[in-house]
Amino acid sequence: MKLLVCLKQILDPDVPARDFQIDPAAKAARRGGANLVTNIFCENAVETALQFREAAGGDVKITALCYGESSAEDCLRKAMAMTVDEACLVERNGNTNPEAAAVGRVLAAAIRRLEQDGGPFDAVLVGRESGDWGVGQTGGLLAEELGRPALGFVESLQPGNGGVTLRRQTDVGIEVAEAEAPFLVTITNNEDNVPRIPKTRDVMMSYRKPLQKLSLADLELDSEEIRDGSSIFEVEEIFIPTDEVECELAEGDTLEERVDQLAKRIHEVVASIG
Amino acid sequence: MFRVGGTVPFMDPTQATREVFWNIEYTWLVYVLMVPTLAVFGWGFWLKIRRWRAGQPAIRFDRPAERLQLFLRNAVGQGRTIRSRYAGVFHTLVYTGFIVLFLATTVVAIHHDTPLHIMKGHFYLIFQSLIVDVFGLFVLVGVALAAIRRWISKPNLLVYTDEASWILVTIFVMALTGFMVEGWRIAVTDDPWAAWSPIGNLFALASDPLMSDAAMQTGHVVIWWFHLVVAFGFIAWVPFSKMSHVFTAPLNIFTANLDGYGGSLKTIDFETAERFGINHLGDFTWKDLLDFDACTECGRCTDVCPANTVGKSLSPRDIILDLQGLMHRQGDQFLLNGNGNGNGSGANGSDELLPIIDQKTAVSPEALFACTTCAACMEACPVHIEQMPKIIDARRYLVMEEADFPEGMMDMMNSLESRQHPFAGTQFSRVDWTEGLDIDVMAEMDDPHEAEVLMWVGCGGALVERNRNTVRATAKLLKKAGVKFAILGREESCTGDPARRVGNEFLFEMLAKGNVETMQRYGVRKVVTSCPHCFNSFRNEYPQFGGSYEVYHHTQFLDQLLESGRFDGHDAAGSSNGSSTITFHDPCYLGRHNGEYEAPRNLLAKVGGARQVEMQRSRNTSFCCGGGGGMAFVDEPPDQRVNQERAQEAVDTGADVVAVGCPFCATMLDDGVNARRGDRDVRVRDVAELLWDAVGESDQAAP
Ligand code: SF4
Ligand code: SF4
Repeated sequence: MKLLVCLKQILDPDVPARDFQIDPAAKAARRGGANLVTNIFCENAVETALQFREAAGGDVKITALCYGESSAEDCLRKAMAMTVDEACLVERNGNTNPEAAAVGRVLAAAIRRLEQDGGPFDAVLVGRESGDWGVGQTGGLLAEELGRPALGFVESLQPGNGGVTLRRQTDVGIEVAEAEAPFLVTITNNEDNVPRIPKTRDVMMSYRKPLQKLSLADLELDSEEIRDGSSIFEVEEIFIPTDEVECELAEGDTLEERVDQLAKRIHEVVASIG
Repeated sequence: MFRVGGTVPFMDPTQATREVFWNIEYTWLVYVLMVPTLAVFGWGFWLKIRRWRAGQPAIRFDRPAERLQLFLRNAVGQGRTIRSRYAGVFHTLVYTGFIVLFLATTVVAIHHDTPLHIMKGHFYLIFQSLIVDVFGLFVLVGVALAAIRRWISKPNLLVYTDEASWILVTIFVMALTGFMVEGWRIAVTDDPWAAWSPIGNLFALASDPLMSDAAMQTGHVVIWWFHLVVAFGFIAWVPFSKMSHVFTAPLNIFTANLDGYGGSLKTIDFETAERFGINHLGDFTWKDLLDFDACTECGRCTDVCPANTVGKSLSPRDIILDLQGLMHRQGDQFLLNGNGNGNGSGANGSDELLPIIDQKTAVSPEALFACTTCAACMEACPVHIEQMPKIIDARRYLVMEEADFPEGMMDMMNSLESRQHPFAGTQFSRVDWTEGLDIDVMAEMDDPHEAEVLMWVGCGGALVERNRNTVRATAKLLKKAGVKFAILGREESCTGDPARRVGNEFLFEMLAKGNVETMQRYGVRKVVTSCPHCFNSFRNEYPQFGGSYEVYHHTQFLDQLLESGRFDGHDAAGSSNGSSTITFHDPCYLGRHNGEYEAPRNLLAKVGGARQVEMQRSRNTSFCCGGGGGMAFVDEPPDQRVNQERAQEAVDTGADVVAVGCPFCATMLDDGVNARRGDRDVRVRDVAELLWDAVGESDQAAP
């Protein structure tokens, strides 16, 4: 069996509030002092795939795929340290478009290329959403591009009779489904798919393993078109919301007076907010 | 009725002596028996030495002068053994008794088997009779005291084995039978020098009215041979029992680690190592293996272990003893497989090599991950066994080979890997604390070399709310004293201490190399830090990665500044600390690991005349706050919290300020003191904060 896991490198969502900066002109977050990390749901997806491989006990091959800047190599190396078998980076080269539709097209093209070379992927795993924009559409749009059935919010994959048994989170509880390849799932987190810490030996090995790199041109995609051509939304403005606290003390000589005053002011404020 | 020998005036004391082997026939049998005795003795030790030699290399015969000094102090001089009063007393009695009795036997041998008939005259009377009798009594009393402890008071720290009891019985019997034969000889021969052997003489006086000369003479022969057989048996047994410590302990002390506990972890060559960390005996160094055999089962290490004290399963004594047992059980298997090449995998039956980490023994993952690396065990061990580095060796295996460790440590390591600090979810950046202080950041300086000192802030100082005031106080004090310093700001990464103590040596090495590179870029020579963990890494560990600096803990540096009058004009005595009582908590990595106990106390002594009180466990016996070894990142069970145990001790001194010198101690004790202070107002404050209160100006905070 062959699994493919998509990864995204994002700005560390745990960056201390004061270190988070935005570039209003570019309408995007600035790197500033923040670190780059693998999106957590993507890591959950890697972990889910690894656990599937362990449960299947045999011939399961996992490939990690990332569309990102060259720094995203780190994410792929880490996935390899977690013992993913192969990794491929599609280099974005400064093309900053964050849009799911564009990303979906690029990933689909890359997947088709990888399938040409190594045979079809039975399952494609995508993180349910990313910790930067949180749009949560890449999985669905990628499934559309690939023409595969897709299921969202999956938390585990287990080898089932003949196919794969999926557990997915829904508003009313856990749904268990049987799936036949090929399919796509978006992965959410639960306590069992917390990404593992790699063994040191595997970390060292990950730097010795080959890592395939593809450019948009290799995939016969026009980077201009990828940037402009698939917009389904536009960022109007981006800003950091400010908390403004105004403090007013209720005045009065006695407790009663102050309570009266307070009640009056609450009335006024509520009325003014309307 | 009275026998008064040596004082009879007509007798010439220069002629005093006695007949060796009086009443004994077939003395040649002694020599015949001695052969197998010594053979077994030699074979036993040869087995041990062969086993040790199967270990990995370690350099432990360098610096002979220092080693000799240590040997004289703590082996010959029993420096550490006597730290414990009761055990110190009885051990000294038995130890000195053994030495004297051994010398006496040697004297007999020389007298009898060589032409040197030295056993006569004043030497015979004073040494061979009087002194030997007194020290023989020492042995009896010492063993009796030990027996009272083992059989009556039964403290927890001992291991209650039959072997230990038999050792006491055997030694007692040897000493007692020695006095019996001496007494009967005196009685039967009417020894004119009897008064010089007071204990033997007592025995003679007691036996005389009860027994005939013939009975005594027969008794003498029987007991004499019995004494000899027991003694020879004991000698043959020594290498197979904990009595082997008589030889292994001095050797272990001679080959002890001379570099302090702070520099006691091994480095790993990741390029060549076949395994990371240790899970097989053969991967230990010969010195580690010697450690196992040197253990006297005294239990002092476990007695002082903070994790053990609060009820966790960690027991350094049992770790050492279980590994010793494993080593003995594994015997030749271990030799074959662990033959020093670190290669435990292969065709030669390696599957039977038992792992050292075993849920069913004291070396369980749970116990290993309870260690705070405080080194109290190492400081307490009378024979200088190195327990903590072995715990780290095993942790390394679990972390790097098995990726198996507690959850809190996992988050910490994840954060270290992706954010170069261990505090996942912190709300602060590395420079937030500098707000309003105008502090130079090396990267932003025209000439970073202008900074004479690098103030190393440390993750615990910059990123944990509670400690930002400490680093602010330190920076303000440096400024006030006119020190030209700068910080690395965002370029600072964790020194790697938490990674190293948890066992992730690989991560530590990456962080260390990164920091050394950054500091090299700015030509850093002198470092001041308020974190003892960073301090320890710089001082003892970074030199291995090419980073050698003049390193100061902030209390050391501030103490120097204060001494040289750099805070003059601001009389500390007038400060608001005047009325408080302060107790200082020694951080493990400043005190035990690096031997600095005075600087913080000196500073406190000058802080506004505050009264200093000491906790019962202080200085080298200080009790860990519970935060070292990555434990600050682990949730301890509510009833097993090391910090609360320590906080209680601090609160019990009656102090209203608990002074600390470490960001980890500060947070751990803050929590602990809040849980244990009751209605009293007890506050935890860094020495730098207190000093700033005393000598600072405008933004003084009331304590
Ligand atoms: S270093 Fe401290 S916590 Fe660890 S075993 Fe020794 S005494 Fe116990
Ligand atoms: S390791 Fe040292 S302190 Fe611990 S029981 Fe053995 S001899 Fe005593």
